[in-house]
Amino acid sequence: MTLLDITNLKTYYRAEDGWVRATDDVSLSIERGETVGLVGESGSGKTTLAKSIIRLLPDNAEIVDGSVAFDGTEITELTDSELRKQLRWSEISMIPQNAMNGFDPVYTVGQQIVQVIRYHEDGTSKAEARERARSLFDELGIEPDRVDDYPHQFSGGMAQRAMIALALALSPSLVLADEPTTALDVVIQDRILETIKKMQKELNSAMIMITHDMSVVSETCDRIAVVYGGRIIEIADAETIITNPRHPYTLGLRNAFPDINDDDQELISIPGTPPELVDPGEGCRFAPRCPFAEEACWEVTPEPESYGDGHEVECHRADEVELLQTEAGKKETWLEQEIGRPDDPTADRATAEVESDD
Amino acid sequence: MGLREYVVRRFLQLIVTFWAFFTLLFVLFRMMPGDPTSMFILDGMTPEQREQRIAELGLDQPLYVQYVEYIRQLLTGDFGQSFIYREPVTDIILIRFMNTIVLMGTALVFAYLIGVTFGALMGWWRNSRFERGGIIVTLMARSSPEFWVGIVLLSVFVFWLGWFPSSGMRTTGGELGGGFVARYGSLDFLRHLFLPALTGAIVYLATPTLLMRSTMLDVLNADFIEIKKAEGLPERTVLYKHAARNSILPLVTVAAIATGAAMGGSVVIETVFNWPGMGREMVRAVNNNDYPVAMAAFFLMGSVVILMNFVADLAYVYLDPRVEYE
Repeated sequence: MTLLDITNLKTYYRAEDGWVRATDDVSLSIERGETVGLVGESGSGKTTLAKSIIRLLPDNAEIVDGSVAFDGTEITELTDSELRKQLRWSEISMIPQNAMNGFDPVYTVGQQIVQVIRYHEDGTSKAEARERARSLFDELGIEPDRVDDYPHQFSGGMAQRAMIALALALSPSLVLADEPTTALDVVIQDRILETIKKMQKELNSAMIMITHDMSVVSETCDRIAVVYGGRIIEIADAETIITNPRHPYTLGLRNAFPDINDDDQELISIPGTPPELVDPGEGCRFAPRCPFAEEACWEVTPEPESYGDGHEVECHRADEVELLQTEAGKKETWLEQEIGRPDDPTADRATAEVESDD
Repeated sequence: MGLREYVVRRFLQLIVTFWAFFTLLFVLFRMMPGDPTSMFILDGMTPEQREQRIAELGLDQPLYVQYVEYIRQLLTGDFGQSFIYREPVTDIILIRFMNTIVLMGTALVFAYLIGVTFGALMGWWRNSRFERGGIIVTLMARSSPEFWVGIVLLSVFVFWLGWFPSSGMRTTGGELGGGFVARYGSLDFLRHLFLPALTGAIVYLATPTLLMRSTMLDVLNADFIEIKKAEGLPERTVLYKHAARNSILPLVTVAAIATGAAMGGSVVIETVFNWPGMGREMVRAVNNNDYPVAMAAFFLMGSVVILMNFVADLAYVYLDPRVEYE
């Protein structure tokens, strides 16, 4: 059963020189209990996409078009107070990247969990809410008495567990986890991910896991959406994204992460930087960094193409999967000078200007 | 280290600070050029009379004797006789100190209550017309000279509207009550208090307002504010219980220091409104080389600064759980 259905969502930021298209025409649907990973570089728009779901956007951001339907409710049409009372935290909660900063430093963790429980549940007494906080702590492997501690008294991993307790306090149907383990060391990271998985299964909550770490998503997610330049450029089940991706960017991302079983593997990075999203114009947004870009890639924005089992790719050359996969594994392919539009008119103009200055 | 230990240690520090302060005051005053008799010589004092006067005041004793005597007097609350009035300093200074506390205390309470609220809202409604207008008003208040604010208030509320008396602390011929409440609680007194206190409040308003606004802007960027919003809590809970509550911390220290400084009184406000406070008395004492009065005045002011810092440190322990007792 579909829990969340995002269609053609466009969330833009107003900037001095126009709209920044942080989320541009994105469609994504999530089933109950499912975990979907959003992977991409910093600035690719994955966080904006997730925050658009609960409209937790800064003042200069706006959902300009598209629909977000949560369990049949159209979120973009709710009033602020309906959104706060019906959806925020009770249905959709979040786990931030740095849990230590996610708690208000001047109140105890317990006070903060009790506050949110009692705000959303009229009939729950203070003692009941406190008891629930204690039992959540217990389940997450924290000494229950520590609900009376202040956030700064927790270690990083402990604070992250406490944050998970806060996020799950109202048994939400969807949890937005924004790089929940980036701030932690690898051993703790692994345990936290296990805990999240376990609790999520118990509550049958769906989850959106935002990360730039391929290894995190491959371990925890059912499906993975790769985000680039404000668009989902490839989405499929986790297995397919890891073993059989078709988009050159996904192939590039995969190169950038070490495989523990492969001794000879050389890490290859993708040259260049993520695109400017102010009026990007037509054409594939990855083309400037793509070693496989052709004429059409610069002119026409690729539409999502389906390759069975929910595998969708936005790439003009996705059909040439064998070539892409073979070539993308070679270091030479990703050398900077080999990439870029051969007869780029803007590049010519830049050169001409420099010459005329002399 | 426990809370109690921290308080005890902080208290011992307070005593050491006071001792250092006493000693510094003593040294400073002995270093000042001129002596009280230089004022009397003009009145035809003979050299013998002068010697006699100096001996009377104990100023012919060696410094360490003077120092021991000085500490003994401070501890017994005896500031000696005014060189000029020939009256106990305590009588002269205490009443003026109370007058100043009432005036400046009122001004500060209003300045900080209004400033903190105003600044919090300015930060919350960032980039709004309210914020921009607020900054302009605050900066205008900040840059207006005290005497100018006082005179404008006088001409509007006294000479034009006639709502308040123009000067002093009580209507001439009015009953002068003995107790504190009778003295400072009467309606007549409050009417006299209003304009000078308002002048002070306007002058002091800018610091808490602007500081509160800027710390609010910092706090509003913190992750926990976003989480509180995501929790669906109402705006005013996020604003008051979380954002403003965290932003107020740096203001505690600033308020403590401002209170200390304000206890010196404001010469300008006291002159404009003819208020018998510390500021004018200190200027008079310094001009006349009236050591005991000047010293008592500095002693009271400095003591308030030290005490208020002590209070601020204790308040911090209560307000910010992250303070470590080390």
